[in-house]
Amino acid sequence: MSNKRLGVVVDGAFNSGLTVRLDPGVTTEQLRIGSFVVVEGQRNRYFSLISDIHLKATDPRLLSDPPRATSPFIARTLSGTSTYATVEVRPMLMLEKPDESDPRALLEMRRGPQPVKTIPMHFAELREATELDFATVFGKEGGVYFAMGTPLTMDIPICLNLAHFVERSDGIFGQSGTGKSFLARLVICGVIKSKVAVNLIFDMHDEYAFDKQTEDGRWVKGLRQIFGPQVLIYSLDEELARRSGRNADVTLKIGLNQIEEADVILLSEELNLRQTAEATIGLLRDHFRGQWLLKLLQMTQEELEEWCKNSGAHAGAASSLQRNLKRLQRQEYIVEEAPFAALDDMIESLDRGKHVILQFGRHNSVLDYLLVSNLVTRRVRQRYEEKTRRYEESKDPKDKPRPLMITIEEAHKFLNPAVARQTTFGIIAREMRKYNVTLLVIDQRPSSIDPEVMSQLGTRITGKLTEERDIDAVLTGVSNRNALRGALESLDTRQEVLIMGHAVPMPISLRTRQYDEAFYQAMGAPEAFQGPEIGIRDLFGED
Amino acid sequence: MPLKLGAVSEQIEHMAQAMVALSPAQEQLLEQAQALLRSTPADALRLKLEQQRQRQVRFPWLVATPHGSLCGIIPAPPAPVDFCVIGIDASSVPPDRHRSVRFYVLNVGYAALTYGRCADAVLDAESQLFFHDEDLYLFPEKRDVPIEGTLLNARMEVESLQTLQKVIQHRAHQPSGERPPTVALRDGPLILWTLQNEPQEVQDKLLHGFLQAMSSLRQSGVPLAGYISYTDSRDVANSLRVWICQELPNECEHCKNSKRDLCLALAKIRDRDLFNFLAIGERSELFASSSQILERYGEHRVDFFYLNIGGEIVRVEVPRWVSADAEWLSLLHAVIYDQSRRSPGFPPYPPALLEAHEQAVITTTERRLIEEMVERALGLHGQWVTRSAKNDSKRRRGI
Amino acid sequence: MRIGEIVETTSTGFVAESFTLNRPPPLGSLVAVSLPAQDMEIYAVVAYGQTVGLDPGRRAVRRSTEIVFDEAIYHEHPELKHILRTEFGAVLVGYLAEGQVWQHLPPQPPPLHFSVQTVQTGELQRFTDHLLYFRLLLSYNGPVSPLQVLAANVREVYRQRGSDRAWLDAAAREIATLLKNDHEALLTVLYAIDPGEASAIAERRGQL
Repeated sequence: MSNKRLGVVVDGAFNSGLTVRLDPGVTTEQLRIGSFVVVEGQRNRYFSLISDIHLKATDPRLLSDPPRATSPFIARTLSGTSTYATVEVRPMLMLEKPDESDPRALLEMRRGPQPVKTIPMHFAELREATELDFATVFGKEGGVYFAMGTPLTMDIPICLNLAHFVERSDGIFGQSGTGKSFLARLVICGVIKSKVAVNLIFDMHDEYAFDKQTEDGRWVKGLRQIFGPQVLIYSLDEELARRSGRNADVTLKIGLNQIEEADVILLSEELNLRQTAEATIGLLRDHFRGQWLLKLLQMTQEELEEWCKNSGAHAGAASSLQRNLKRLQRQEYIVEEAPFAALDDMIESLDRGKHVILQFGRHNSVLDYLLVSNLVTRRVRQRYEEKTRRYEESKDPKDKPRPLMITIEEAHKFLNPAVARQTTFGIIAREMRKYNVTLLVIDQRPSSIDPEVMSQLGTRITGKLTEERDIDAVLTGVSNRNALRGALESLDTRQEVLIMGHAVPMPISLRTRQYDEAFYQAMGAPEAFQGPEIGIRDLFGED
Repeated sequence: MPLKLGAVSEQIEHMAQAMVALSPAQEQLLEQAQALLRSTPADALRLKLEQQRQRQVRFPWLVATPHGSLCGIIPAPPAPVDFCVIGIDASSVPPDRHRSVRFYVLNVGYAALTYGRCADAVLDAESQLFFHDEDLYLFPEKRDVPIEGTLLNARMEVESLQTLQKVIQHRAHQPSGERPPTVALRDGPLILWTLQNEPQEVQDKLLHGFLQAMSSLRQSGVPLAGYISYTDSRDVANSLRVWICQELPNECEHCKNSKRDLCLALAKIRDRDLFNFLAIGERSELFASSSQILERYGEHRVDFFYLNIGGEIVRVEVPRWVSADAEWLSLLHAVIYDQSRRSPGFPPYPPALLEAHEQAVITTTERRLIEEMVERALGLHGQWVTRSAKNDSKRRRGI
Repeated sequence: MRIGEIVETTSTGFVAESFTLNRPPPLGSLVAVSLPAQDMEIYAVVAYGQTVGLDPGRRAVRRSTEIVFDEAIYHEHPELKHILRTEFGAVLVGYLAEGQVWQHLPPQPPPLHFSVQTVQTGELQRFTDHLLYFRLLLSYNGPVSPLQVLAANVREVYRQRGSDRAWLDAAAREIATLLKNDHEALLTVLYAIDPGEASAIAERRGQL
């Protein structure tokens, strides 16, 4: 690993970063926007990111009339002297260097990297980062430090601090095709292995539980196959739940009694509800309490009219509401009445350290997804609030609820500005940290997510984004925004991400870890994966 | 500064016009003169001149007595492979009457150029400052006849030859295989005609050293010649006038000669034009000069000839001991012609004389330097130099 | 080897008369004046040469003919050797004192009438290992443009160092830094010191 010097600092400001003049012989092409580099000041070492690259000339006349047909000798002489390059570098972290002449200082434990409080003087050296630099900043693999990938130009593992990761809600972003679900798998595996939290995953497209074929035809393992019975599979789809080798542990039914007003309002668009729906529901609730939905759906036309007269509800509105809500009833997994015990059991399992994946099977329309996720999560939240209060009273460590991370995809549907206040997810994102429940939000349109929610996301892992709005959104509330913008724009479409936030000491661009045999083994998967045959058998059912 | 260039330029213009107008007439006359030169029998002329001399007829002008024929032409012989030519020249800082201390400086420059297999050059000068009475005055006991003007020039000639003598003697002592044949040239005549009107004792004093040096040269075997560029002499033309004269040459007012016009024309013709029939390298036959001062020269009596060096006719004066020696005469002729071909300028001028001149020249700066040195030296010894008022006013030129 | 004698001397340079007519030391070459009394060796770079008449008033005239020309002229006119002189001017670029090389102006100009000598290869290498003296060359104003003098010096040193390519590259970079604000001047020098194709090919072969 070379300690190669790249250049010296020639200009800079605390707010805008440092300008480094590259040494002759160092070409711009050996550096990347977003690369991790180190500036050696006199007293501090500055861990920095490259945010921009410029070309310069000492005499502007050279540029207006570049030498024609120059010999290689002249071209080599001019490069780096008359023509040179500068890079803009943003210090992210600062490490105090011990005073070498003071023997006591050398023996003392050094403090770890701190936020940047100053800048180095002119002619401080810029050099490539070494393995030691990475380890100093990002820590070594093990315990809660989970390797997410390697830096863009090097081959050493960079770790996420999973304990920090689950302390707050987080987000995984990137335009479609950037492998967000793989990123989610990596992180969730890490969380499972390190046992920092339990997971509840709303698996809309049945991706996480069992093996799945990727775009390039490979088959990759699911969480159930890696972690075995640690992972419980719940399913809405009874039929699919019974496939051999891929069966679910529990089939979930949702009762009309479990559906609340907020659930319905959330589905306004999907159910085509009128604006009057909310008022009408309100009146129904006043009248029928918890049975309002059941009653509504059971009422005949006349009964409905009767009730409207009595309650003062608008007849047309009410009948329209009823019509729309009948759709709910038609769903296979909807029953009239379902006990909350099923959900509570699930929550207890989580508390015992199991991880739950809720599969939607054939019921993976937006309607199903929104309804069930919101509903289940509300229950989870209620239970967690109770548990936390009990723990606060008893102070018995056995009562302490396990940290829970809830994974949702297409998050903008739950967290767009219009509904963010009302969905449970919005509430969790804003408040539930204190109850140890956090979200892992996966989305390809971060600009559609409520900015307040976005600013609550502690760690953001983002792949390539091209829309300006999305880039702006993902960088909301992040310091050094401009420096990171360049890093974000220069990511490869596949396999490169930028991680910033609570779980890493400083933002870093990474090539993500491969989700392959080596990974499964690292996670402690039981046996070698067998191949596509199982998949085909599954497709055709048990026979 | 107050020279009125305007007026002068006008006259220059007139002069140019007049010159051009004269040319065709002059050409005709020259042709006639040259025809006369060719036709005049040399013996008869010699006889006539001798007769008139015996009759103590005083010629109002110089005449030349031909040794051979009048129009004879001798082409240049080839120069030897190795030879040496020594040129000498001199210049002076004359005594300044306006200064309280009297002195003069003579600077004799010489250039000894050796050609051939051992080509070499020695360029140097001998400088001397004279202040003793015996140098300042011809008769020092009485401080009589100060050496200045013409006398100083004569002194310079003497000094030149004496330096030449020293140079040749020095070279004679050099160990060399075979000393190449050497000739000596001086810029200017060998006939010191300027001394003509001086009293005899003056002539004697000055000529003594001169003739002694010439003897030494003769003994050393170095032929000497005086080289006169763009000569004004009319000796031969004058001889032709004597020839056609029916009466005596000093009775021109009464002349009723039919060839009177020709005679008058000849009076205006110079020898260098008369002899322009000589081709490059060719010389005329020898002539004896009638200059009075030559009576005192003895064996060194001077003869002369004209030579075309390419671009001009020059007059070369030689002592009789050279003109009588065919070998030396031939060597001299060859060397002078050879020198003309090595000349960098046009018309050609012998490099030996050119370099001698360069060595001899005293620049204005050097003159001033000498004066300063003199003043300083005298000042150190307590004698202050005073200048005349006139001198001072010339220096300061105040407004 | 003694090659000339100083006839004019100043703090920044000197003029010397060459011992051989018509052959002053090559433009750009390194020469030295030895001062044993001060244990000092002064170095200078030849910045121009000329051959003129001893007497400033005399100008050279054409002397060649059909038969006599070039070297033969000097044989034909032996006085020429005595009335001409060849002189060269040199810029002071440093000195060796107390065993150390310095590349700034020496405290005193070299003494009048002292000899100018050539510099041995070992000494030259030692001196030119440092390139600070380029600044002195560039700031000198003489009959020849300082750019051309510098270029001549680089070529000479390169040759005397046995075509030391690493040195040439370092010299070129130093010059690029010194002339960073005058691109045209820089190119003038670079074109003049470019070793050319032959050298590039040789270099590539060496690398393989």
